[in-house]
Amino acid sequence: MATTACFIIVSRNDIPIYEAEVGSAAKREDAAQLHQFILHAALDIVQDLAWTTSAMFLKAIDRFNDLVVSVYVTAGHTRFMLLHDSRNDDGIKSFFQEVHELYVKILLNPLYLPGSRITSSHFDTKVRALARKYL
Amino acid sequence: MGREVSESCIDSLLTEMVSTYCNRFYANKPELAARRIEAIGYQVGHQLSERYTMDRPRFSDHLEAIKFICKDFWSELFKKQIDNLKTNHRGTFVLQDNRFRWLTRMSIDQSPENGASEDTSIMADNKAVQSMHLYFPCGIIRGALSNLGIPCAVSADISNLPACSFVVRIKA
Repeated sequence: MATTACFIIVSRNDIPIYEAEVGSAAKREDAAQLHQFILHAALDIVQDLAWTTSAMFLKAIDRFNDLVVSVYVTAGHTRFMLLHDSRNDDGIKSFFQEVHELYVKILLNPLYLPGSRITSSHFDTKVRALARKYL
Repeated sequence: MGREVSESCIDSLLTEMVSTYCNRFYANKPELAARRIEAIGYQVGHQLSERYTMDRPRFSDHLEAIKFICKDFWSELFKKQIDNLKTNHRGTFVLQDNRFRWLTRMSIDQSPENGASEDTSIMADNKAVQSMHLYFPCGIIRGALSNLGIPCAVSADISNLPACSFVVRIKA
């Protein structure tokens, strides 16, 4: 079953620090830019919604055609955003929680400047493996 | 993510860090040494706050975040909570710890019995060295609060050891 999914991590200063296409469908060139555009456009909505609740997982907050944007906000206001076409809320929540653990491990690296791009290939491999497992 | 380190290692590391920065790297520039130590504390506080807020819901306002620092954050770091929290409800908080763990090994100077003037200058030197040791915890608090979205300035007050007060002023 082919799914499209695009995952980005946005820091508290609204700078994307990580992005990955994690769907199992074939990658199309125009689709990649469209995915990023939709995710960035959803940032405003996340901003408003983040102050209304103290939960971390804000489920589906925006839709575009048949694609849905789900968001997970950490206490340090780092946003994990996933653009997907499936309806698997629990799987997405577990995916976000595991990526949060990976993210904290990256942060604990003293040589990592908080707010800069995540360039570790290890992190990339792990995120893709998690996406295959949960999405 | 749950390995442990012995406390004497942490104590030795902190003492050595302060002494290296004050005596070797910035030998005659105590303000630069202080800022460097505080910056190290800022980064550590930033990382620790992200790690300790992982499993709990986010904060709805400044007071919640300060209470988190006083209770959960302090107990993770020092195995006890802040003993006293005061606020003037206008952006200033005073966190008082009656037995600050990192200062427990520091000697408390009794006031000199014969009031010789050399003793008072030695006492002033001691106070300066003691205050250097406080820049790191101030930086930790500042880093943690900044990561939770509260820009602030933190200073410490050690008028009566081993109790220690941290004054947090939130920048409007």
